[in-house]
This record gives sequence, structure tokens and C-alpha cells, in this order.
Amino acid sequence: MSSINNIDVIDQVVLSLSKPLLKDVIDQHQVAYELEQKDVFNVLSALKLKGWKQLSYLSAVDWPNEVKFEVVYILMNWEQPSYVQIRTKIDRNQPVMPSVLAIFPGAKYYEREAHEFFGIHFPGNPEYEKPLILERWDDIPPLRKDFDPSAYSAKKFPSRTYPDSFSVKDENNKILEKKAEKRKRAQNLRTGGESS
Amino acid sequence: MKEMKLFLGPQHPGMHGNASVHLFVDGDIIKRSYLLPGMLHRGFEKQMERKLWVNNIALIPRVCVPEPDINEMSFACAAEKLLKLEIPERAHWIRMIILELARISAHLMAYGGLGGPTGNYTLMYHAHVDRNLILDIFEKITGARVYHQYIVIGGVRMDLPQGIDKDIRDFLDGLESRIGEYRDLGIDSASIIKRIKDTIMLPESVVWELGVTGIGMRSATDKPYDLRKVMPYARYDQVEFDVPTSNYSDARARLDIKIKEVVQSIRIIRQCLDKMPEGEVRVKPGRGQSMRWTVPKGYVYAPVESSRGEFGYYMVSNGGTSPWRVGVRGASYPQGLLGVEKYLPGTRIDDAALWIDTMGICSPEIDR
Repeated sequence: MSSINNIDVIDQVVLSLSKPLLKDVIDQHQVAYELEQKDVFNVLSALKLKGWKQLSYLSAVDWPNEVKFEVVYILMNWEQPSYVQIRTKIDRNQPVMPSVLAIFPGAKYYEREAHEFFGIHFPGNPEYEKPLILERWDDIPPLRKDFDPSAYSAKKFPSRTYPDSFSVKDENNKILEKKAEKRKRAQNLRTGGESS
Repeated sequence: MKEMKLFLGPQHPGMHGNASVHLFVDGDIIKRSYLLPGMLHRGFEKQMERKLWVNNIALIPRVCVPEPDINEMSFACAAEKLLKLEIPERAHWIRMIILELARISAHLMAYGGLGGPTGNYTLMYHAHVDRNLILDIFEKITGARVYHQYIVIGGVRMDLPQGIDKDIRDFLDGLESRIGEYRDLGIDSASIIKRIKDTIMLPESVVWELGVTGIGMRSATDKPYDLRKVMPYARYDQVEFDVPTSNYSDARARLDIKIKEVVQSIRIIRQCLDKMPEGEVRVKPGRGQSMRWTVPKGYVYAPVESSRGEFGYYMVSNGGTSPWRVGVRGASYPQGLLGVEKYLPGTRIDDAALWIDTMGICSPEIDR
């Protein structure tokens, strides 16, 4: 059972169903393909039948210069140890990616998270629009590159402003005077009452 | 009877970390449930994009509190794959010692956590004493007790201190002699066995449906599905160890595997101490200024076997001085969210905390 053979098996499956835009062998256990959006569903279900039946990770990458989101699926086969990354680029202004819930039930929460952090829509997943981790979020999805956490924080939690007449001294609070008194007494004890 | 809503957590002795499980109960039986994550969300993935590769080393151990070293290892492995960097031989062996010590400490914490929901606090205190001894060793090696920032891109931060070999061996001998005690206090204790035997089942079909990895998967499938065995990283292919499995996954079987894995980790650390070569422990990772070095373009996923299962970083670099995107695959993500929703219903309220404990759920890595 050589792992190079596993990558050949993946190659056969992917090439029989699609024309990959890009192939990248990362190491002896991992290979990556970039596919067109319409091929993803078929390739994923074929790979699942061939033994890549664990969805290890599902997420997205933002490429604002190309005006694209890249959705990533990582599958794992424990029998023939190997990982395969399936990536596809979708339009950033109308981000819609059909859900893979029918193939991988475990994708449910990954898709919900991808919707929350990137704003990608997953039709087919009944609950993908429910908020998950962020509570009462009121800005653009935070993992997009045009979201600036510092600006958001400055807007959400404005820093305090002080008038010119501001002073920490409180008229009713005598603690500073008491401290000065105490210091003076201590100095008197040291010097025997003579002023230095 | 009317359905009632109860909350398990976020502050609860049976919960590990701050996550809340909402339970809809009818009498004693849970009818519906779901996890409410987000209380530990600190925006790690966004922060990592804004920091240099070097700066991130201080940030990532915070992703998982009980077992921080797997984060460092996964991050370092991912960056080294992108950089096509060969790290010194000795660094691999030191990394393995650190990772296995961390695995023992995480297993002890989880196994001791059994004491909370079952009311046997003696077990918890015993486990924490041994965990503290590991933290002492970590303090001697790395200078920190919990977040070590020791495994860095290009090797480890510095070499082991003088005389640490004896400290580690003494600790391992002591722990090995106490394994029997742990079994007696925990999984072989008559008062606990009633709570964990034949309950909280995890059938094989559920494993594949959710994508559960780690001990859950090995206990249900009876196959050695351990990343250290199937695709060895570091030098796990040069040490001998067994992967304990079982073909019947109740709570007791999973805890049993945890204890057996501690024994295997002891075995691995002893071999590492024997086989470790002398030499350098760190190489300079990239070209450029001392801190602002860059990493070549690429996409990589670097998995590591944590105490709870497959833990990995998905990393995208666009050739800059900071990562373009880092995604964290928490090992307890599938069972923590979908598992709680689908398979917690049907158990009793008092078993819910045990369910969370023995499934190995760690909330900080779900939230990130």
C-alpha cells in the first residue's frame, strides 16, 4: 500500500469527472485540485464512494482582487491514507455554493460557519443562515478582507473624551490630603521637626 | 409532562471550557439539545492574518487551552511544508517528547474530569497532581507552564536544559507505577462503572456520519486510525508503539483507551530519550529581514494527532510576511456541534456532562 498509488487513484476519479483547472501535489499524502463550480458535487460524491468518506474541513478564502471567494473541501481516507483538497472559485458579489449536506452530513455546521464569516450562501442546507458563533453581529462578515477589526472596534467602543477642566481631584475626597499629611509627619519624625 | 429548558454551562463543573449546552428535557430524559458556542470566540483566524509569521507563534497556543502544543506543531508543520524546509534531526525528537508529554497531560486532565460528573473528586485531584509534575517539566524546558511557544517554524526555540533527561525519566517511572491506581479510582471503581458501562454509545455509523476522529473513531471501528501511524509526521515512523482500539464503544471503552494511550506515550518518550541525536535544533526559516521573512505562495493542510483526534491548520500564503488565511480544524468540531444536536438526546440529564467529557469536547477550539 504505497501512498503514491493513493494519489493516482484520486487522479483517476477527478480526471474522469472533470477537467481540473489546477493540480498541485503537496506531499506524498496530500493533493489539491482546483475545479469548476459545477463539477464539485460530482467529484465529492465519487470520492466518497471510493473511500474518501471523511470531510475533514470546509471553509473559504477571500480573494478581493480577483473578486472571488474560494470554497475549500478537504477529504480524508483512512484506509488509503491521503488527503485531497478540492477548491473552487465563486463570484464574490453573488456568493452561492450548493450545499454538500446530502453527501456529507457533517458539513452542516461548517457551512453555517462559512456563511457567518464570509457571507456565502449554501442553498440546500436548511439552517445555514442561523447565527452560530457571533452574537448580534451588525457588520459585514468578519473574515472578509475588507473588514477592518480596528475600525470596527473604534466605531463600536469609542474611546472616552475629557473636557479641558477635567481633574481627578474630588472635592469631597480627602485621600490625597491625608497622604500628604502622612508624608509630612513621617518626614518630621525623621528630621526631628526641622524643615529641610 | 411539560418540556422544560435547562442549561448545562457555560459555568458548570462538568463542562470543559465555556460553552453552553441547551437541553430540552422531559422528566429526566433529554429530548432536544444544541450547543451554543461563541463564548470563547477571540477571532484568532482574523488576527493571524494581521500578524507576522513569527508573531503568530505567540498567538496560536491559545486556540486549545488543555493541549496547546499541537497548535504550535500544526502551524510549524504547515509553514515548513510551504517553505519546503528541512528541520534539524534533533528538533524532530524534541518535538515528539513535547507532544507526548502534552498528550499525557491532556489525557490526565480529561480522565480526571470524569471525577466531576461522577462525584469522585479524589480521581480529579490525583490526575491534577500528575499533570502539575508535567507542567514542572515544561517549565524547565520552555520557561512557561501552559503556553510554551516552544515549537517554532524551523525547529524548536532552544535545546533541552541540562539534566532534563533524568527529570523526565523519574516522572515517567512514577506515573507508570500509578497507572493501576488510576484504573482503580476511575474505570474499575464500582461506583463509577455503573455510570459508564453500556451507556453513552458511539456506533461506527455515527463515526462516519459526523466525521469523529481520534479515540472515538478507534474505539468504534477497531482499526488503528491514528495519524501518527497512518501518515507519520516528525519521527513517529522510527519509534515503536501500539494504537489501542476496541470494537465496542461505550464510555468505559473510550476511557480505557485513554489510559492505554498514556502507557504508549510513556513508551514513546523513553525511546525518544534513548534515540535522540545531538546537534542543532533550529534553522532560519526564510529569506528576508530577521523577523519579516516571507513564505512562498501555496495552500496546505497540516494535520496532527491530538488527544481528541485529527487537528489541523489549513494555511494559505500569498507570498507575504503574514499568512493570507489560516483555518483551524478543531478535533472536537463534529461531535461538539452536530453530535450534541443529534446524539445527545435520549440520554439522562446527569449523563450529559459525562457525554461531553468522554466524547472529548474542547470548546475553545470550536470557537477559535
